[in-house]
Amino acid sequence: MAHLHIKNLQAGYGKKLILDNINLTVEQGEMIALLGPSGCGKTTLLNALCGFVPVRHGEIFAGNRAVSQLPAEKRNITMVFQSYALWPHMTVAQNIGYGLKVQKAKRADIDARVAELLRIVKLDGLEHEKVTALSGGQRQRVALARALAIRPDVLVLDEPLSNLDAKVRLSVRHEIKALQKQLGFTSLIVTHDQEEALVMADRIAVLNQGKIEQIGTPEEIYHHPSTPFVADFMGAENHIEWPIHDDAFSLNLSNHDDQLDIYFRSESAVLSAQPKSESTDFNAGLIISGHVEQSVFFGNNYQISVRCGKHTIQADHNQNLPEHTPVTLRIPIDALHVFAKKEKHSDHQKTNIVSAKSMRMNHVC
Amino acid sequence: MRQTTSPNQLKNHLWLIAPAALMVGIFFLYPLCFSLYSAITLDSGEFTLAHLNKAFELYSKDILFTIIIVLISVAILAVLSITIAALITLSPFRSLSKTLGFLYRLPLFIPFIVTAQMMRTFLAKNGLMNNAFVASGLLTPMDTVSFLGWSGIIITFVWKQLAFSTLLISGAMAALDDSQIRAARNLGASRFRILFQIILPQIVPTLGVAMVLSIVTMMSVLSVPLMIGTGSPTMMTADMAFRINSYGDYHVANALGLVSYCICAGLAWFYLRQNLKEKGAN
Repeated sequence: MAHLHIKNLQAGYGKKLILDNINLTVEQGEMIALLGPSGCGKTTLLNALCGFVPVRHGEIFAGNRAVSQLPAEKRNITMVFQSYALWPHMTVAQNIGYGLKVQKAKRADIDARVAELLRIVKLDGLEHEKVTALSGGQRQRVALARALAIRPDVLVLDEPLSNLDAKVRLSVRHEIKALQKQLGFTSLIVTHDQEEALVMADRIAVLNQGKIEQIGTPEEIYHHPSTPFVADFMGAENHIEWPIHDDAFSLNLSNHDDQLDIYFRSESAVLSAQPKSESTDFNAGLIISGHVEQSVFFGNNYQISVRCGKHTIQADHNQNLPEHTPVTLRIPIDALHVFAKKEKHSDHQKTNIVSAKSMRMNHVC
Repeated sequence: MRQTTSPNQLKNHLWLIAPAALMVGIFFLYPLCFSLYSAITLDSGEFTLAHLNKAFELYSKDILFTIIIVLISVAILAVLSITIAALITLSPFRSLSKTLGFLYRLPLFIPFIVTAQMMRTFLAKNGLMNNAFVASGLLTPMDTVSFLGWSGIIITFVWKQLAFSTLLISGAMAALDDSQIRAARNLGASRFRILFQIILPQIVPTLGVAMVLSIVTMMSVLSVPLMIGTGSPTMMTADMAFRINSYGDYHVANALGLVSYCICAGLAWFYLRQNLKEKGAN
């Protein structure tokens, strides 16, 4: 295994440019999750790494080798596919050993490596089974073993858990992570599931419209999103544009002319079933008053949709509340992700312009 | 829960399929049964093998010629269709694959008799092909060779059937999950290896079906041996036409037909078995 270095990468299909100026380094033995919505270019990036999509500009280094102009078969970067991509006319052992057979390895060496990998992915005894006889989870483990058999420089995983049902997904997720720690392979995993990325990756790169919006550890990405897109994508689904000329919203700002985008998570909003009092502490953070529009049971809590003027704010609460109940939401300052708007449609900048009390935000924003 | 059908409903359902069943009965089953009956009976209706004996006595060479022509054609057909389908599926040059994907379909829309006429003007000693060679200085008029005969029949069969079999085979190749091919590529397999070790083993049933259907078609063509062949030996269809047109001898013509049926029936068995297997899998 080697480190992977992507420098100023541009790639696309036909005349359409999908990836623009991608710079990314995956250290040896590190797992980076590429996280983003459908169509953001994350699978295209994997395809460009593997040689299935031509690189228009930039360079890819696997270890010290420049591989961007090499054909797919010479890159030594293997992929685990969403659809498993196992060959149904071959047995489990033939699938796993195929790469070694292509490399003209000795029969005994192939058998030994296949047996080792079967043991690692916990499929001992299934070597002579047809892959069509296996369950989804088992098939994905065969695909993983097949990709690892030739000891690739880099392993890339393209939404490997998407085709599995919820329970199997959790166990395979855990197994892949455990294997990655055990074998120390350098890997990139594509996912659109933020939980999957948080659990599996050492670092996360959030992609949007072919560009990396932010790269950092799961904690950094979750707690300190650097752009509104990252905040929104990482689950801060409540968004308000400040200033709001509505008494239902109150937030103490040092500069009232500031144009802000404010994001926060539903679990950060503390809901109390009583109207906002006159003596509310305005330095307590964002305070919103409204009435319950809908209450949905989510298992461990209720998600309450609160109507506040033109806005609908989501908040978690431990009790079901009837519709039209007047409520107050309090969002602590350090749970707010605040971004200053430079101009309309221009880039955002994280801000620390909230009032004196909110100086605590500085380490957040 | 399984639905039960009352006898009355069943009767109504039978009426629904009656027109189609009647068409098959009148235009396919009756002539087939009559042909088989005629091949093994005298005018008086008594059973005899005399017609079959006569057919083998007079035309065994032609039967063998037919089988050889068809087998050679089908072998060349398999190689060419796989090559074209593989180029379309695996070629990195997308414009080449697109052009090939358009061109190979053309013979589908040309009838056998037109193909035969076209090949006659193309393959003859003073035909288009030789004239082009002479004009380009590659051959002198004395060196030109006519391809009318067994080689011309094979060329015509292959040219005409190539579109059909390539259509089936490239369809089967396109139906394979592209990531199977990608998985093999990033494990280091060349395109050649991918074709033989990943793609072909998975499309063998379709290849078989394409070849069987092509054989049955070639066995039934009359215009090509009549227009491209040189007379003797010739294919069984030409012999059947000759028995009927020259002697009004339906018995021997039907006996030759029976031999054709037997050859095709063996292949049809393979085709039906494959179809049933696929339906069973679904």
